[in-house]
Amino acid sequence: MISIRGLRFQYKGAKRAALDNINLDIADGDFVGIIGTSGAGKSTLTYALNGIVPHHFTGDFYGQVLVDGMDTVDSSPEQLSAKIGSVFQDIDAQMVASLVEDEMAFGLENFGVPRAEIGGRIDEALAMVGIGPLRYRMIRSLSGGEKQKVAIAAIVALRPSIVLLDEPTGELDPQSSRHIFSMLRELNERFGLTIVVVEQKIMLLCEFVRKLVVMEQGRIAHAGAVREVLAHSDEMEAIGVNVPRVVTLANRLRAAGLYDGPLPLNIDEAEVMLKTILSTDYAD
Amino acid sequence: MGGYLDYIAGESILHRLNPLTKLCLSFVLCVCCFVSDSHWVVAGVMALNVLLAAVAGRQVLRRSCHMLRALVKFSLFLFVLQVLFVRDGAVLLRLPFGLLVTDLGVSFSLLFVMRLMGATMPLALVLSVTPMNDIAAVLVEKLHVPYKYSFTLMTAVRFIPIFAHEMAEIMEAQTARGVEFDTRNFFRKIRLILPLCVPLLISSVRKIESGAIAVELRGFNCRKRGCAYKRYDILPRDLLAMASGIALLAAIAAL
Repeated sequence: MISIRGLRFQYKGAKRAALDNINLDIADGDFVGIIGTSGAGKSTLTYALNGIVPHHFTGDFYGQVLVDGMDTVDSSPEQLSAKIGSVFQDIDAQMVASLVEDEMAFGLENFGVPRAEIGGRIDEALAMVGIGPLRYRMIRSLSGGEKQKVAIAAIVALRPSIVLLDEPTGELDPQSSRHIFSMLRELNERFGLTIVVVEQKIMLLCEFVRKLVVMEQGRIAHAGAVREVLAHSDEMEAIGVNVPRVVTLANRLRAAGLYDGPLPLNIDEAEVMLKTILSTDYAD
Repeated sequence: MGGYLDYIAGESILHRLNPLTKLCLSFVLCVCCFVSDSHWVVAGVMALNVLLAAVAGRQVLRRSCHMLRALVKFSLFLFVLQVLFVRDGAVLLRLPFGLLVTDLGVSFSLLFVMRLMGATMPLALVLSVTPMNDIAAVLVEKLHVPYKYSFTLMTAVRFIPIFAHEMAEIMEAQTARGVEFDTRNFFRKIRLILPLCVPLLISSVRKIESGAIAVELRGFNCRKRGCAYKRYDILPRDLLAMASGIALLAAIAAL
């Protein structure tokens, strides 16, 4: 479980705080999406979770961040990475090897996993992510989506309880992005991993995550279940965060008193909503 | 340049040799170019390089030929420069500004550029037939090089194609804005490319920083010796290959 209390962080030399008065709880097994405009503090929040802030990027740090009971100030990023695995947007920069097998083995070797166990752990993680056949492939021969899956598998192999992803689909096309999110859902539902993902593609978040955190200028503007947060679509659009058009439509219909059912998150649900409204009108 | 340093997968005998054996053989071939003053011997070493590339597979051979062509172009420039600075020997040609071309100058300059080519090719060949991780791991396991240094070497080589790609992207963006990188004027081209070093440097530093964070979070600082997954045993074929290399070196030295 992740618990953040009164977190404020200002990078050394910066004029304003990158994170301000952050209070957030993420329960075990949650699937949480973090969204916000550029400079809202999303990446800094991920750095605060994996210990990069304040250990790598220094500055004024106030408050407390607990990851599975470990205080991120007292624990090193390496100690924290046994609990929370991190995957970044820049696929090429985070790869260290030319072969998938070597890439997978890197973290396991670093953490001193016995040699006899490493092969099994690699197979297990590749199977969890659904890319077992790629084990002996050259990384440069893989597609962007496959490379990102390898990066995620390399983290999953370390058996963290939480996987933290900073814009994992930033360099991917829509189809590959959906594959990545389907795989994350599988990791969450089937293997019980807690997933925290920073993402700009609101449609993906609406479809896959269970909780949404909206950030604005270093603060949490809204946090909660997806439908609860999207009920504030006007405020989200005012701070520059797009919401799906079906949500905007549903909120306007609600405001006009024409609809009071659950908020639709995709076209199919919107169709059901509109049919309900139209049939109600005809009945009247 | 990055294209000359990537690993090309294969099952040839060169691919299967121990990475340390390959490093030793490439070193021996480099030394062979310098122990003899005969152009023919150096040409022979270069031919041996091409032959070994052919053994490693068609793709490796094609790359070696491309590399040889690129080296010849580069060497031509060095040859001209070198030949004008050697003034000993019989004068073959008198040039303006008191510059001379002598028979010794031609001979020495030719040997110089041939040695350069002969000594460059073996290392490029090793990198073509050995994953960089294997080279780094064997340096740690057999030669007891600290992992940080071997990782630095591995990362430096790995980042070359990434930076080349970044540079190509920056140049593409500038071309779209009307910058004429396709100009035939070499000096003008250099003048156009030089300012791009700043954005390249910034994006490179950013990439390196995010790479450093990523490896730190994967326990890089916790790594201890002897924790590598793969082992690199020296097999009889490795001993045979090393013995052949040393025999070749001894034969050339004895000539």
